Amino acid sequence: MNGAGASEYISRRGIPFYKRGNGEEREVSVLDEVLKVANSMGAWLTAAPIVIIALVQVLLYYRQIYHAADAVNLKPEQLRKAFHTGMVTSIGPVVAIFIIMVGLMSVIGAPMAWMRLAVIGAAPTELTAATLGADAMGVKFGGEGYNLQVMAVSWWTMAINGVGWLLLVGLFAHKLEDVREKVGGGDTKWLGILSVAAMIGVFGYLNSRNLTKINGPFVAAVVGAVSMIVLLQVAKKMPKIKEYTLGIAMLVGMFAAMLY
Amino acid sequence: MAAEQINEQKYHEVWTKPVIRMGMITMLLASALSFLPLIYLYMVHGVLPPFAQAMTAWVLVASVFGAFYVVEPISYYPILGLAGTYISFLSGNISNLRLPCSAMAQEVVGVEEGTKQAEIIGTMGIIGSVVINLVGVTLAALVGTWLIGIFPQFVADAFRQYTAPAIFGAVFGQFAMRQPKLAPFALAIPMTLLYFKMPIWLVILAAVFGTIAISRVFYKMKIIH
Repeated sequence: MNGAGASEYISRRGIPFYKRGNGEEREVSVLDEVLKVANSMGAWLTAAPIVIIALVQVLLYYRQIYHAADAVNLKPEQLRKAFHTGMVTSIGPVVAIFIIMVGLMSVIGAPMAWMRLAVIGAAPTELTAATLGADAMGVKFGGEGYNLQVMAVSWWTMAINGVGWLLLVGLFAHKLEDVREKVGGGDTKWLGILSVAAMIGVFGYLNSRNLTKINGPFVAAVVGAVSMIVLLQVAKKMPKIKEYTLGIAMLVGMFAAMLY
Repeated sequence: MAAEQINEQKYHEVWTKPVIRMGMITMLLASALSFLPLIYLYMVHGVLPPFAQAMTAWVLVASVFGAFYVVEPISYYPILGLAGTYISFLSGNISNLRLPCSAMAQEVVGVEEGTKQAEIIGTMGIIGSVVINLVGVTLAALVGTWLIGIFPQFVADAFRQYTAPAIFGAVFGQFAMRQPKLAPFALAIPMTLLYFKMPIWLVILAAVFGTIAISRVFYKMKIIH
């Protein structure tokens, strides 16, 4: 199959770029015919159900939270505040996802990009999976010989990769609750420290990759951290700004990195 | 004490049990629906991934990401809680979106970490982020190519490159304030392992559980409380 069908597709379209987080640019071009199928109505219709499941899941949990709030003495206004904070805080990162997704759409088609970025995985993960799928067929991703069948392997690889997380969490997440209860041992104070320690640990790791050399991401991280600390101090006197602190700190960090 | 116990039981009935049921069903359903576009390719275009190459691709992708299927849910669980874990691993974008939004919701409402209240408030923050996320990706899919023109190139570049580092830094700052004595360890452990080119999944595990272990020691020694 490798490359054999390529001669049928003479017209090729140069796809501008997909820029990775580290600024590295890669040239990707996809055959017209293949992209036409990738953007067809059928692709839209079959990508939609999983996106709808993601929406249905949060609606179910949203409703359940209102049922459960009484048991833990939470008032509806606190729930509303939490929901609102989640929405406000997510605006900045979602703009970033939006911009990255438009790049991804040009290489895997809009329906697939929509489906893959609405569920587990992120642009670099999906691009890696799609590329590995083409590799398995002995074809360059989006290059010569990238025909429908190779695209099918790309789609398969993205799907089977996402399913790794979905299945393991679906089948075993509730076991983790038992582990937490055991580790916590009913000591609520220790459980609180454990949660904070886990958070510091995760974000220590996430930052560590940006702190190895002084460059744009380094500046963004350091300035982001300092502005967050300052903003939270300010918020002690002006509680109204508290829910915007993370969004503002992120923008300040980004702005500083741009100036650098 | 008695009131506390009744609450526990009610919590289990109105929260834990339904959360597990909904979580399992939605995750398994999503797993199955992941393959729907492939069925379309087969039914309409008669194209099927060749079996041998599909298996090769599976091995390739699992060798890159397989460890994360296990490591990430375990490492993020103490922060996300049960419902938060189901939602976050269905909707993705965990580090740059779900974790920060869960943390900010808890910060703003002012709940104590690790409590049941914190879990529910954090989940609500995550739900808010999923709604905006879905609006964002749907907009991108429908009008993204057209809308991208309104962003000047340097603004688009800044978002692409610096959003994640800036938000990672900010969240770290937020939590480093809470337990300043843990922060140096949380940075030193992963940076050392990265220096020695250890695999990423091991770096995540060591950063999270190393920091938790140190917090346990400090807690027992009453250095932190």
